[in-house]
Amino acid sequence: MTYALICLPFLAVAVVVAVVATRTLPPGDRRRRWAATGIAAAVLVVLTAVFDSIMIAAGLFGYADGTRLGPVVGLAPVEDFAYPIATVLLVPAVWTLARRRGTRAAHDED
Amino acid sequence: MTAFAYLAGLLLSIGAIVLIDVRWRLAFRRAPGPSALAVGTGTVLLLLWDLAGIGFGVFFRGDSPWATGIVLAPELPIEEPVFLLFLCYLSLVCVLGIERMLRHGGRRRAPSHGPATAASSTGDVTTTPGGRHP
Repeated sequence: MTYALICLPFLAVAVVVAVVATRTLPPGDRRRRWAATGIAAAVLVVLTAVFDSIMIAAGLFGYADGTRLGPVVGLAPVEDFAYPIATVLLVPAVWTLARRRGTRAAHDED
Repeated sequence: MTAFAYLAGLLLSIGAIVLIDVRWRLAFRRAPGPSALAVGTGTVLLLLWDLAGIGFGVFFRGDSPWATGIVLAPELPIEEPVFLLFLCYLSLVCVLGIERMLRHGGRRRAPSHGPATAASSTGDVTTTPGGRHP
């Protein structure tokens, strides 16, 4: 349970930033951003299932007993999938907000 | 040599994403500042997430022959921030790349001067290789 509880606040931050960022986009771009986010999340979840399992099998890292919910995909604990879902939401959102800020600053100089 | 396999694999993968990014002007070549800020913010947040996991005793470093064994902090190998950076950069290029594909409806080349193309709404530069430069 510990691992899942650690994931929650980080996932929440990613969701909030993504919602705030997409709201700054025009409606067409907003729909496209959510569609792209969904497809990218699906791709990264599959990649995570494959490569996380390989990384765990290679002994790169491990998890302490009793800290996980239990379900796994391959060798990857379900909690690990919070990482790609959070990055797919958060990173493009920060990119959009920063870009918007940059555009606005450029306009202000005029 | 095998101790550098994981780190080398990560760096090679980042290099491959850079090629895709540059070729299709998706992130850094389109908006260097925002891209650096986005990947940087993501990496720092994931590092905090990792440190929380380590702090609560969830993660531990394995004794893998494929890792260098160099640690930045207890249970935090030098490979980890590189992996987190890789994951953030991959996420950004993935979302922006798929967005581009959706915008152009799968067409390989977008008309650079067409009347009111969908791309004009975001003010993006053309995706055509060797096209307009800012």
